[in-house]
Amino acid sequence: MVNKHKKWANVYLVLVFILMYAPIFYLIFYSFNKGDYMAGFSGFSWRHYIDMFADTRLMQMLVNTFIVALLSALIATLIGLFGAIGIYNTKQTGVKNILLSLNNVLMVSPDVIIGASFLIFFTMVGLKLGFGSVVLAHIAFSIPIVVLMVLPRLNEMNPALIDAARDLGANNYQVLSRVVLPYAWPGILSGFFMAITYSLDDFAVTFFVTGNGFSTLSVEIYSRARQGIDLSINAMSALMFLLSLILVVIYYFISNYSAASSKKKKGTRMVVH
Amino acid sequence: MAQPIIEFKHVAKQYDDNVVLKSVDLEIEAGKFYTLLGPSGSGKTTILRLIAGFLEATSGDILFEGQKINDLPPEKRRVNTVFQNYALFPNMNVFENVAFGMSIKGKGKSEIKAKVTEMLGLVKLSGLEDREISELSGGQQQRVAIARALANDPEVLLLDEPLSALDYKLRKEMQYELREIQKRLGITFIFVTHDQEEALAMSDWIFVTNEGEIVQNGTPVDIYDAPINHFVADFIGESNILPGVMRKDYLVAFAGKEFENVDGGMRPNEQVEVVLRPEDLDLVSADEGKLIVTIDDQSFRGDYYEITAHDDDQNEWQIQATNPAIIGERRGLFFDPEDIHIMRLNESEEDFDARMEEYDDTEEEGTMNES
Amino acid sequence: MNHKNTLSYTIPYILWLGLFVIAPVILLIIQSFGNINGHFTLNNYVTYFSSGTYLRMTFNSIFFAFIVTAMTLLISYPMAYIMSRLKHAQFWLLLVILPTWVNLLLKAYAFIGLFSKTGTINEFLSLIGFAPHQMMFTNMSFLIVAAYIEIPFMIMPIFNSLVELDRSYINAARDLGATQWQTLVKVIFPLSTGGVKAGIQAVFIPTLSLFMITRLIGGNRVITLGTAIEEHFLVTQNWGMGSTIGVVLIVAMILTMMLTRDRKKKGGKHGK
Repeated sequence: MVNKHKKWANVYLVLVFILMYAPIFYLIFYSFNKGDYMAGFSGFSWRHYIDMFADTRLMQMLVNTFIVALLSALIATLIGLFGAIGIYNTKQTGVKNILLSLNNVLMVSPDVIIGASFLIFFTMVGLKLGFGSVVLAHIAFSIPIVVLMVLPRLNEMNPALIDAARDLGANNYQVLSRVVLPYAWPGILSGFFMAITYSLDDFAVTFFVTGNGFSTLSVEIYSRARQGIDLSINAMSALMFLLSLILVVIYYFISNYSAASSKKKKGTRMVVH
Repeated sequence: MAQPIIEFKHVAKQYDDNVVLKSVDLEIEAGKFYTLLGPSGSGKTTILRLIAGFLEATSGDILFEGQKINDLPPEKRRVNTVFQNYALFPNMNVFENVAFGMSIKGKGKSEIKAKVTEMLGLVKLSGLEDREISELSGGQQQRVAIARALANDPEVLLLDEPLSALDYKLRKEMQYELREIQKRLGITFIFVTHDQEEALAMSDWIFVTNEGEIVQNGTPVDIYDAPINHFVADFIGESNILPGVMRKDYLVAFAGKEFENVDGGMRPNEQVEVVLRPEDLDLVSADEGKLIVTIDDQSFRGDYYEITAHDDDQNEWQIQATNPAIIGERRGLFFDPEDIHIMRLNESEEDFDARMEEYDDTEEEGTMNES
Repeated sequence: MNHKNTLSYTIPYILWLGLFVIAPVILLIIQSFGNINGHFTLNNYVTYFSSGTYLRMTFNSIFFAFIVTAMTLLISYPMAYIMSRLKHAQFWLLLVILPTWVNLLLKAYAFIGLFSKTGTINEFLSLIGFAPHQMMFTNMSFLIVAAYIEIPFMIMPIFNSLVELDRSYINAARDLGATQWQTLVKVIFPLSTGGVKAGIQAVFIPTLSLFMITRLIGGNRVITLGTAIEEHFLVTQNWGMGSTIGVVLIVAMILTMMLTRDRKKKGGKHGK
C-alpha cells in the first residue's frame, strides 16, 4: 500500500521535472541542428554556434549584458549592504518596519510597473535613455535583494559581538571591518550573485528604459524571436543555461557555507523573481 | 580609605518612561571580587553595562579612579567584559580571538604571541590556539572568553552571568577557578549572577539588587545571616519568614508565643518580620520544643531531609534535618535566640547598618556571658 | 555602532528609497491624471471605466491570471509535498530553482519552436495521425507557457512551508488514529496555507503583468494589463492612459496581497 503510494509519487515527481526541463533541453538540443528550424533534426552541427560568434551585433549585446550586470550588481551590493546595516541599526520598530516595507516595494512590483515608472522618472529628470539609464534601473531593482540577503545575516549575529569588539578597543571602522563584514560576508556574496542574476534575467524593465542606441541580450532576443526562429538564439540559450548552472553552483556553495557556519541549517533558501 | 576604583553617584537609567535603575550609589575597591546579585530585570546587568560603557546613564556620575567617565566610549575604558554567551568572534580561531584587543592596539607580533600563550595557560587551554570556536565545548568557550578579556590587562573585569550556560559540575569548577584567577592577578572582578549560591561561594562583597535598586550590600556571611528585608531573606537561601511583634529589646512574639532573641533598637510592640533559616531548626520531642509542629511532608535531598510542617497557628515551616521524620507526627521545634533574625518593615540600608553595628556588639557580649 | 557615522553610509540607500521607490510611483500616479499634452484631467479614468474594451481586457487579464494560478497550484502542491518528504529535499529544490535562472525569454522562445505549425508537437501529432493544429497564438498556448514559467514560484514557498512543518504534528495525527489522507487534509494542508498564500501572491501578480509572452505566444489575442501598459507607453505613446492602467495594476496587486496576507504573522512576533 505504502510502496504503491511511493511509486506513484516518484512517477509524478519525475513527470513534473521532465515537463520543467523539456523545453530547455529542447532548445539546447536544436542548437546543434544542421537544419534551420526547431523541428526535424537533420544532423549534428556546430554551425549555429559559429554563426553566433560571428554575429558581431549579438556579441556586442552579450558584452553589454555582462557589463551592465557586473557594474549594477557591484554598486547595488555596496548600497544595499550599507542600507542593511542602516536598517539593522534602526532601533525604533516603527521606522524599521517602514524601511523594510519600502525596501520590498520593488521586490513585489510587477516588472512593467517598474519599467514604466522608471521611464517616466528618467524622462522627467532629462536623463538620456541608454547605457546609463539601464545601469541605473538595474542597480535600483537589485538593491532590495541585496538587503534581503544581508539583513538576516546581521540579525543572526549576536549583538554582543559588537559590544565585545568595542570592549576590546575597536573603533567604529574596526568593528565594521573586523567583525560585522566578515560575519555578513556570505550574505553579501549571495546578494551580489542574486543581483547579477536579476540583471541577467531582466527583460521587461530594460525594454522600457533602453531607448534606441543601447540594447541588451534579452531585448535583442525578444526582437529576433518576434521575427521567428533563429537557431543562433538556441546556441545563445545553451550558453546562458551553462552560465546559470555555474552561477547556481557558486550560489549553492555560498549558501551552504553560510548555513554551516551559522549552525542553524536552513539549507538553500533562494529568493528569485 | 583608599580611593575606590569605581564609584557610582546617584546613577539612574531610564528608557522613555521605563525606569531600570533608580539612583544607585556604590563604591568598588580595587583588588576584590564583587558580585551583583539579583533576579532578572533587577538592574544588575544595567549596572555592568554602565561600567563597561555600552549604556549611558540618564543622570548621575560614574567615576573611575576619581575621574568622571560618563562619556568615555567602551573602547577607551580600562575595563573588559566576559559576555553572557561569550560573544566569541565566529570568524576567528582561538588565537585570533584572544589576540583581538592587542591587534587592534597595533601591538607587535611576538608580544601578542607571548601574551596569548600566557593567557591560554592561565585558563588552562594551552595548545588550543588553532582551534575554531565552533569546535570548542561550552566550558572551553567560556575560558577563551575570559582569556580574551584578560589579555587586555583590564583594571576591572566584568563578568555578565558567564557561568549560566554551563552544567552544574562545570559551573562549580569554574567558580573555583575564577576565584583563583582573581586572586592571582589581584585585579577587581565584578560578577553578575542571579544564582545566590554562586554569589555566596565566590564573593568578597555582594550587592543585592531588586527593582532597579541596591537593597543590601555586605559580605556573604552578613547578607545570609542578617538579610535586611523580606526580599533578601527570601532570595538568598531558604527561609521561614513569619510576621511578629517586637515586644521590647530582646523579646519577640510570633506564632502565638514570645521568644528571647538578640535584636533590639526598635519601638516597643513594633510590627516586624521574623526569619528562621531551615538549617537552624531542630526537630526534638514535643515536650522539649519551643513550638509544636505537625509533619506534613518530607523529601530526601542527599545530605539532609527537607521537611515541611505546620504549627498550631497554621504557619508553614521548612526544616532541614539529618534524620527522617514520620508524616503526621507531632514534634517539638527547637532554635536558639541567635537563630532568630528580625527585619523591620521598610528599613533603609543605612539605618539597618547602624542598628546592626550597635547590636552586633551586644550580641557578642551576650553569647560570651552565656557560655 | 555610532549613529552619526552609519547615517552617512546609509545616504545612498536613503537616496535610492526616495528616487527609485517613492518618486516613480508618485510620478506614475501623477501621470495617470495627465493627458497627452500633460494637462490635468480625469479623462483617463473616465475612459478606462466607461470603455468596454478596457474593462473586458481587465476582466480577461484577471481571469487568465486566475486560471494560471489555479493550474500551477494544482500541479505544485503535490509536487512540493512529495519533494518535502524526500531525503535530499534541498537538492530537489535546487532542481526546481534552476529553470528560474534561465532567462524568461528563452523559455518562451522554446515554446515558439514547440508550438509552431511545423513544430515538434505538430510533427508528433501528424505522426499519430492527427492533422496539424494551429497552436501558436491561442489562449491555450498562453495559459500553458505562463503556467510553465510560474510553476517554480509556486512550488518554492509551498515546499518551504512543508519542510518547516514539524514532523511531530504528523506523527501525532497518525498516533491519534488519522489515516494518511486525513492527516494530509486536516493537519498538513491547514499548516501549509502560509506557503500556498505566498505562492498565489508570487504567481498571480506577475501573471497579470506578463507582456512579452502575450506578444510572442499569445499573438496579441490575450491582452493582459501588462501588455496594455507596454502598448500605451512604447507603441501609442499615450503615457497618461498607460499610467492609469498601471495604477489599476498596482491596486490589483495590493488587493491580492491583502487577500493572501498571512494572518498568523499579523498577530505579533512570530517565530524566533
